[in-house]
Amino acid sequence: MLNNPFTLVGNFDVVLQGSQTSINNYLIKQLPKSTVFINDKYQVVHASDSWIREFDLDSQVIGKCIHKLHKNLSTEWNETMEACLNGINQEKKLEQFIDQQGDEAWFEYTMIPWYDEKENVIGIVLQLDNVTEKLARELRHEKLKILLKEKSNIAKIGSWEYNVEQDKLHWCEMTRKIHEVDDDYEPNLNDGILFYKEGYSRNTISMAVFKAIENNEEWSEKLQLITAKGREIWVIAAGKPLFQNGKYSGLIGTFQDITDHVISEVKTRESENLLRTVIDSLPLNVYIKDTESRKILVNTSECEYLGVEDPNELLGKTDFDLYDKEVAQTSRDEDLEVMNLQKPILARETISTRKDGTVTTFLTSKIPLYDDDSEPNGLLGISLDISNLKQKEEELRDLINVTSLQNKKLINFAHIVSHNLRSHTANFSMLLDFLVKEEDEEEKANIIKMLTQASDGLLETLENLNEVVAISTNTNLEKKPVNLFKKIEAVEQNLAAFLQTHEADIINEVPKDTSIRVIPAYIESILMNFITNSVKYRHPDRTPIIRLSISEKPTTTILSIEDNGVGIDLKKYGDKLFGMYKTFHNNADARGIGLYITKNQIEAMNGKVMVCSEVDKGTTFNIYFNGAN
Amino acid sequence: MGQINAIGIIDDDPITVFGIRKMLHSIDVCDDIRTFENGKEAIDHIKQLLENDQPIPEVIFLDINMPIMDGWQFLEEFITLPLKTKIRINIVTSSIDQYDRQQWEFFRKRTDHLIDFRNKPLRKSEIAAITKAA
Repeated sequence: MLNNPFTLVGNFDVVLQGSQTSINNYLIKQLPKSTVFINDKYQVVHASDSWIREFDLDSQVIGKCIHKLHKNLSTEWNETMEACLNGINQEKKLEQFIDQQGDEAWFEYTMIPWYDEKENVIGIVLQLDNVTEKLARELRHEKLKILLKEKSNIAKIGSWEYNVEQDKLHWCEMTRKIHEVDDDYEPNLNDGILFYKEGYSRNTISMAVFKAIENNEEWSEKLQLITAKGREIWVIAAGKPLFQNGKYSGLIGTFQDITDHVISEVKTRESENLLRTVIDSLPLNVYIKDTESRKILVNTSECEYLGVEDPNELLGKTDFDLYDKEVAQTSRDEDLEVMNLQKPILARETISTRKDGTVTTFLTSKIPLYDDDSEPNGLLGISLDISNLKQKEEELRDLINVTSLQNKKLINFAHIVSHNLRSHTANFSMLLDFLVKEEDEEEKANIIKMLTQASDGLLETLENLNEVVAISTNTNLEKKPVNLFKKIEAVEQNLAAFLQTHEADIINEVPKDTSIRVIPAYIESILMNFITNSVKYRHPDRTPIIRLSISEKPTTTILSIEDNGVGIDLKKYGDKLFGMYKTFHNNADARGIGLYITKNQIEAMNGKVMVCSEVDKGTTFNIYFNGAN
Repeated sequence: MGQINAIGIIDDDPITVFGIRKMLHSIDVCDDIRTFENGKEAIDHIKQLLENDQPIPEVIFLDINMPIMDGWQFLEEFITLPLKTKIRINIVTSSIDQYDRQQWEFFRKRTDHLIDFRNKPLRKSEIAAITKAA
């Protein structure tokens, strides 16, 4: 009804000017708009069916008072009716009606005076329009407008519209704000485009507008604007063409100020880059693992260590993919420890064996990482390769061992020297003391004889000590390859007379081509010493047999010299066997120097000597010659 | 005449033996001076005496560095012997090794016998003081 406004005015002239015939009645009855003719006594004279339907009235309304039909009407309504009867035309007014169900309804009404042929007012013509829906729609529209404004304020989204026919560009309040222009600023399309920063932004928007008009394409671009105040800002500019009846009629679009967002994005990217550069430049292996111990971040050092160029080759992998099983399990246990106890492991020494067998010692730290709910969701690992350090430490420890051993030997030697020199000088002192007080000439001669003996003893001791010092200090004697078999034969020859006297038998089982790297002078002295010892300490019941043989180890040649002599009780004398001036037999020519010198010579060649012996059965000396220099 | 029944000198150095003998003669404390070249000879002799129920030398001069059985090995066996009398043992050595002093402390605490420690050379002035029954 409302969509199709009906003009009754023309008809009314016919209706009102004619007599009140049934034709007229019928005509009014059919009017599409609610219409009521009321006489000056407020009684309904004519009424349209549409009015009866609209207000759900009884069909017998003619002659009834309007006040009975429409109750509780406003004073305005009543005043209007009165004014109308006085012949004053009334404007459209709004009245609220409450129907039988109690629902509200709003009506727009017009009341005009009803004239007879003589232009006398005989009543009122009332027309009503139901505007409830229209009002509701207006309200909704108003609300939407407010909402849109709020939204655009909060999101900093402005809109614009371009009408091609009027060549007018309309900017909303927000769009103006974004461009920092005055509220009355009115741009045209070209002005709008000129706000874009010269270069990429302006080119892009020009292309977008062109394509929109030509190809009906929408756009949405992240571009830079220079505001009226000269500020550089970032916006998302979006737009689309409008078509009316298939014809291009304009453009519509939005602006969103995303400067803050872009700035923080740039900052984030910058700090991300910085972080990445830092961890990639660190001489440390850095990685982040998830709760399943899968790597989700690795740095360059870690990639290099694991021999890959692209970090992606490592992402998602666990230690079980990269290390041998045992190492991987240890690492996984550590990971779980860190994540479960939420306690970092700091600078723990760990050993990693890669699949190819390379062993690396790391100083590893593992630090738990947390998600937004403070639940552990992985860990940060930092490993420092300390293999070199470790090796140096080991070398140092070896060096300390060697040094402390040498120091021990030195102290030992100092004691030997002091003891041996002291024993002689003590004798000198004592004998001289006697000599001064002695009166008996015979005893004096005796004392002098003993002084001479002591002097000889001292000289011999000095010679022996000299020999030992020579071995320990003469480290620049060069090792040369020596044919061991031939050397033994030569020594045998030298000792021929001595061996013959004691009917000693030498069995040389050393292969003829055996070559060892030794100091030639020392090997001769060593062989001589062991062989003469074997003969000196022969068993009284049997002729001496000395067997020389070798066994080869990768870097070592072991020479065994086995005899059938009296043997030594190693439990008693083992620790003194190679000591200086230690003798164990009542042998007249035992000087207690031979084995001491021999041992020193062997050690000077980086070798060692071991002994096994059984009393009455014999003794075996095993001499280890180190193949290296 | 001597106040000591017998004196033992255990030393492989003839000059030291000569010297101690000479000093003992000069203070005229004992006529029975027995010499042993090493600990083994001495311990065998003492065991023999013990077996025959004969008196043990009351004072013993003991060297440390000797072949076959050194002074410490001798003491090791000696302190286990079931002797009825307390013996005075004078260790006489040219050693200044701290180890030997520790060994002396060690043996001193383990036995009732009197063990003394002297560095060579012994002086005539000190010989009388250390040649007394324990």
